Amino acid sequence: MRGIEALVLLSTLSSSVLAAESSRPRGVGPEFAKFYKAADSFTCISNPSIKLDFSRVNDDYCDCPDGSDEPGTAACTYLSALSPPQPVVGAPNTTLALPGFYCKNKGHIPNYISHTYVNDGVCDYDVCCDGSDEWAGVGGVKCEDKCKEIGKEWRRLDEIRQKSARSALKKKTELVNEAQALRAGVELRISSLQVEIKEQEKKVEDLKKKYEEVERSERGKVVKSQGKGSKVTVLAGLAKQRVEELRDALIGLVNKRDELRRTVKELETILSTFKEEYNPNFNDEGVKRAVKSWEDYAAKKDAAAEIDESAEDRDIEEISKPDSETEGINWAEWETEEESDVEALYKFEEYLPASLRDWVHQKLTDLRIMLIENGILADNANSGSESKVVSNARTAYQTLNDDLGIKQSTVGDLTNDLEKDYGPDDIFRALKDTCVSKDSGEYEYELCWLDKTSQKSKRGSGSTGMGNFVRFDKLYVDEEIDAEGKGLGTGERTVLMYENGQHCWNGPNRQTTVVLACAEKDEIWKVVEQEKCMYRMDVGTPAVCENGQRKADSKKDEL
Amino acid sequence: MRHSLMLSSRWTALLVVISALCCLFSPAISVKHENFKTCDQSGFCKRNRAYADTAAATSNWEAPYRIAPESLTWNNGQLQGTILKTINTNGDTVRLPITISFLKSGSARVVIDEEKRQKGEIELRHDSKIRKERYNEAESWAIVGGLDLSKSATEERGSAKSHVKYGPAGKFEAVITYAPFGIDFKRDDATQVRFNDRGLLNLEHWRPKIEQPEKKEGEEASGVSAGEDESTWWDESFGGNTDSKPRGPESVGLDITFPGYEHVFGIPEHAGSLSLKETRGGDGHHTDPYRLYNADVFEYTLDSSMTLYGSIPFMQAHKKDSTVGVFWLNAAETWVDVIKQKEAHNPLSLGIGSKTDTKTHWFSESGLIDVFVFLGPTAKDVTSAYGELTGYTALPQEFAIAYHQCRWNYNSDEDVKDVDRKMSKHNIPYDVIWLDIEYTDDKQYFTWDPLSFPNPTGMLEQLDKSERKLVAIIDPHIKNKDGYHVVEDLKKKDLAVHNKDGNIYEGWCWPGSSHWIDCFNPVAIKWWIGLFKLDAFKGSASNLFIWNDMNEPSVFNGPETTMPKDNIHHGNWEHRDVHNLNGMTFHNATYQALLERKKGEIRRPFVLTRAFYSGSQRLGAMWTGDNQASWGHLAAGFPMILNNGIAGFPFAGADVGGFFGNPEKDLLTRWYQAGAFYPFFRGHAHIDTRRREPYLAGEPYTGIITQALRLRYSLLPAWYTAFHQASVDGTPILRPHYFQYPSDESGFAIDDQFFVGGTGLLAKPVVTEKAESVDIYLPDDESYYDYFTYQIYSGKGKHNVVAPLEKIPLLMQGGHIFPRKDRPRRSSGLMKWDPYTLVIVLGNSGEAKGELYFDDGDTFDYQLGAHVHKEFEFKDGVLSSKNIGSKGKLTDKFLNSVKSVGVEKVIVVGAPKAWEGKSTVKVGSGQAGLEYHAAEGNKAAWAVVRVPKVAIGEDWKIEF
Repeated sequence: MRGIEALVLLSTLSSSVLAAESSRPRGVGPEFAKFYKAADSFTCISNPSIKLDFSRVNDDYCDCPDGSDEPGTAACTYLSALSPPQPVVGAPNTTLALPGFYCKNKGHIPNYISHTYVNDGVCDYDVCCDGSDEWAGVGGVKCEDKCKEIGKEWRRLDEIRQKSARSALKKKTELVNEAQALRAGVELRISSLQVEIKEQEKKVEDLKKKYEEVERSERGKVVKSQGKGSKVTVLAGLAKQRVEELRDALIGLVNKRDELRRTVKELETILSTFKEEYNPNFNDEGVKRAVKSWEDYAAKKDAAAEIDESAEDRDIEEISKPDSETEGINWAEWETEEESDVEALYKFEEYLPASLRDWVHQKLTDLRIMLIENGILADNANSGSESKVVSNARTAYQTLNDDLGIKQSTVGDLTNDLEKDYGPDDIFRALKDTCVSKDSGEYEYELCWLDKTSQKSKRGSGSTGMGNFVRFDKLYVDEEIDAEGKGLGTGERTVLMYENGQHCWNGPNRQTTVVLACAEKDEIWKVVEQEKCMYRMDVGTPAVCENGQRKADSKKDEL
Repeated sequence: MRHSLMLSSRWTALLVVISALCCLFSPAISVKHENFKTCDQSGFCKRNRAYADTAAATSNWEAPYRIAPESLTWNNGQLQGTILKTINTNGDTVRLPITISFLKSGSARVVIDEEKRQKGEIELRHDSKIRKERYNEAESWAIVGGLDLSKSATEERGSAKSHVKYGPAGKFEAVITYAPFGIDFKRDDATQVRFNDRGLLNLEHWRPKIEQPEKKEGEEASGVSAGEDESTWWDESFGGNTDSKPRGPESVGLDITFPGYEHVFGIPEHAGSLSLKETRGGDGHHTDPYRLYNADVFEYTLDSSMTLYGSIPFMQAHKKDSTVGVFWLNAAETWVDVIKQKEAHNPLSLGIGSKTDTKTHWFSESGLIDVFVFLGPTAKDVTSAYGELTGYTALPQEFAIAYHQCRWNYNSDEDVKDVDRKMSKHNIPYDVIWLDIEYTDDKQYFTWDPLSFPNPTGMLEQLDKSERKLVAIIDPHIKNKDGYHVVEDLKKKDLAVHNKDGNIYEGWCWPGSSHWIDCFNPVAIKWWIGLFKLDAFKGSASNLFIWNDMNEPSVFNGPETTMPKDNIHHGNWEHRDVHNLNGMTFHNATYQALLERKKGEIRRPFVLTRAFYSGSQRLGAMWTGDNQASWGHLAAGFPMILNNGIAGFPFAGADVGGFFGNPEKDLLTRWYQAGAFYPFFRGHAHIDTRRREPYLAGEPYTGIITQALRLRYSLLPAWYTAFHQASVDGTPILRPHYFQYPSDESGFAIDDQFFVGGTGLLAKPVVTEKAESVDIYLPDDESYYDYFTYQIYSGKGKHNVVAPLEKIPLLMQGGHIFPRKDRPRRSSGLMKWDPYTLVIVLGNSGEAKGELYFDDGDTFDYQLGAHVHKEFEFKDGVLSSKNIGSKGKLTDKFLNSVKSVGVEKVIVVGAPKAWEGKSTVKVGSGQAGLEYHAAEGNKAAWAVVRVPKVAIGEDWKIEF
């Protein structure tokens, strides 16, 4: 099988080969010259058992099953796995022996082109600048040799390309340096933070101890009345406040629910009208799916018996009414309770002598703490009131501890960042947070390195996310490179995958495959929608340039 | 990227909400049947069927139509007179002029009109300004010749019947019975076609509307109106649209019986079998008549009598050794009921020797009864006679029969160029790339989207480099938008279709609010032609051609997705009268426009159409509309294409890959293998589908698809020869078995295999999933050879042919010679100078014959003799090439231009054993090498002549 893809670029030509050139049959490249030396007979290259009279070479009839007797005509082009099969005799080697028709292209670079281009009536100057592909002049076509001008122009552009390639490599080195510096910066920051953390951890430990001590001692103290009234009345006050908050929230929620119900109703009306009125001739899969799922939705809704919500609503209405003497809780009854006997009993300490009183007090406190610590008595630390001492100690401890947490998580983030894939040499670290954009027909596209891709329509409507960066990948491509050296070329290329962009009408979530090739500056060359809402961006950047490597066969397309 | 499609942003927003609500569901794919009428919902269909039922249920039913014998006159092959229709029990009659013409060609034509309407003695309701006559101009659109009257026909009039002898050697006879009116068309004394056999002739005469007193509530309709259901006489509503029917009921109907004929074919376009089914219910039958009312049917269903995009009211009936046909020339909505009745001639041999009559019943909503009768006796005679009237297929541009790469949509000029490059890069031949509606600036035809197609000229230039073409879509709806020069001109010049009130009609289509050009108007055609001039249509070039879609016309908000029937066209004809012609008039205008886009440069147009009528074959190609990526739709393609072919419109194809949905790779591959045998070969896809250019499929699929494409390309000389034949005598390009083997009864209903032109190639592309082989039916005892391996198959009946994915079941029938060009090129244009390969397939007789026709494939110079037409014959060991073309002014010049084109090899399949050891053949005074390959197992012997050095344009002999 042959084809343009089988084109081989000959980058070097030895002078001895050049000397032998004139004796080669038409279309034969120098490396195959040896097969065509015998004067009287020709042996099929891959099928040595087949010998032909030399007059059969290039006689426009295909004799060799490997096509080697017709290096200069299109006679053997039907020998191809892409052509309809024909009966063959025996089991010859049918692999094509020649890479193509050899265009000498004197004054430029020699090239093999597909034999299917030979004598088809078209001058294929882009691959065969000397016009030798149309030697028979079929239909009166004349292809003059244009290698001089094409070669000159190519060399001019190639110089620019090489210059640009050198400069691209330089830029790449700068990027690598920048990336290394950025990495070093991160590492530095981590180590200084780690030092700080170590010190701070100790301080936090101290403050924690202190706080716990203070708190422990405070815990033993009996709650001193904070105002008039007992704990029950305090509780009642708090409870009332809470109940009112909850009630307000409930009313708010009910209102919101009603509003949403109205919205749903409105949407359902729109949708059922839509279902009646939509036009199937718009041939829109999405509309059809939408109608179908609306029908399913409506059917499901009909099927589920309407739950009677009136009782529930009545309850809610009842609950929502403000409390009063006759409705709900009569808070007044709770807020004004007299001092009880139990409370008076607690005051017996006041009748004891001071020394004894202190002793008893101490014992009582110890007992209380013991009881609290054993879970027998409730801890009043949670009861809402806390002494100033405790809260100060706690604040001091917590503030420092929080700060420590931030520092620790910063270290975590930074460490993760160091481990994150920024490509070889960490190079994309230098590009992170920068973006490039391109004006392409209807849209302006934007690529933010390792962040997101987006498109903005020129016909209004805002920016659409085309994906968020998820990973690096590799892709084999076989693409054109234009005269200015823009284009992916042929070979394996670095790919940035951006996924989970905005959902597409009738389609998937948008995603972008960003394919990178070496260029002097960051530039989006081309954006194509390969499949519905699956985009490919061909992007040039110095970040993927490699020393000594050129994008394969970058010359071919400018020939 | 194109989600702005055709939804306003409000809808888009709403739908986004909905799609957020929905998660997973499978799309429901089916036609919205409720958008299209069943017979019951079509007033005149229901009335005519009811009439048929009444007739059938009435013993001694007598049709109330009789010829007044005294009115008859015979003049020059034409019998004229008056039919009297009795309209009530008082015996009142209305006068219906009848003309029966006997044509030189052997065809007969019967026209029945209505005197009152003809003379304008009727009143129109609603102050309508439309014409009062029955529509009588269908002829001026559909018929282009063959109307010369027979000079040899003779009439012999009796008191009850008139006998007319006509046709070749006077072998045909028409027996016209006066009362009740009826005609028997006979050949060799046997009736082949019978009019009004069942007494269903019906011509709804004009009557004024008698206002019935308003019915009081609760009061039942009293049986005053003696059985006639008037509910659909004066207006009809469907889907929210009301038809005002200013002329009241006016339908015409006639029953046509084919005695002894079991099969009828034709009346496309329907998604069903070649042999038409019965339509009045029963096991496996349709329940509605075959309907002909051009309509944009969304996601059509298979095996249905439902109407589709085009109509050709031409039917053939076939029985052993005889084919006859009828052509119902009426452009209004038409339905055809088909029933088959077995009649045992000998009551003792029930079943055996019993014959089947096919009885058809035709009715149209308005217009004349105008029927042509063709008496064969062969299918070729019938299609040829039909073609003489409506014209033969236009000889297409050569590129038009190569491969077309289409998609809704290629997104930009860069996208087009990219696909073009990739096809070349993958060595996949193609000739034409297509642009659907998105190339326009805001759906305004004759403009390019300035953002996505900024450089159409550059795009066309790149394509031209490898002789490739572009086809862009232009539809009849013209966007109603201020500042759009085309619509402003259309309005200013008053060239659009009008509504019933006489104002410019406004409807909705792709561009939103639109107007429709009225191509019945000669001024509109002239204006349309001007729009296509290369200097008027900016960004166009001579390698740009046109696709006419939506010309049924499709109107999104109209009744049955088309125009209201009471719309008014040029000449004050109602849309009702001309509906089925509408698409052809638009197609015609575009055809005219492409003839001479640059002064002095006249080239063959290429215009694809979706809607069509009898005569559309003169203008370009058609395709079967919006099919689906399913095996069922793949299988449905061939019966539809075969049916179109025998109905005079062979340049037909289905969208390869299926328009809606994403084909699995094996389906796509099989579809390309099938598509390689579509006369019109185009891959197409809906905007919501994934890209599927052949190079995207990956191996082994891309390779197999490329083989199928290259097979098509190598056989292009044979295809072009078949197109040429169709263009001169109407012979279909894909020929069904009944057509080629009229005596072989077991082949009559076969519609999944066919012969390609006169090549003897018998193909049965695989159309089922996971098939490993197919059974090919051989109609005779000739030798058949596998196209790719020369394996021999012989013996009448079914043969199993192994067909893994990479294999197309394709046989070569012995006795034929066909031409090929085996060198793969980028496009057909680049194959022009390549040498030919001739394949001689020797049959049982040891002889073979074939043809080659070619010309410049582009201009009309062939009409002045610039062509080569050869007959090849292999007989008694000699292959001869003989000129059978006509010589003209440009013959010598053309021959000179192709003198370098020769024959590179002659392959003889089934070569005689006697050639073993023979190494040369005699060519004129010289000689050429011969390689002989002996038979191996069940593979035939074959021989190859090596470079005989003969020019294709000359006469020569090769002696073996």
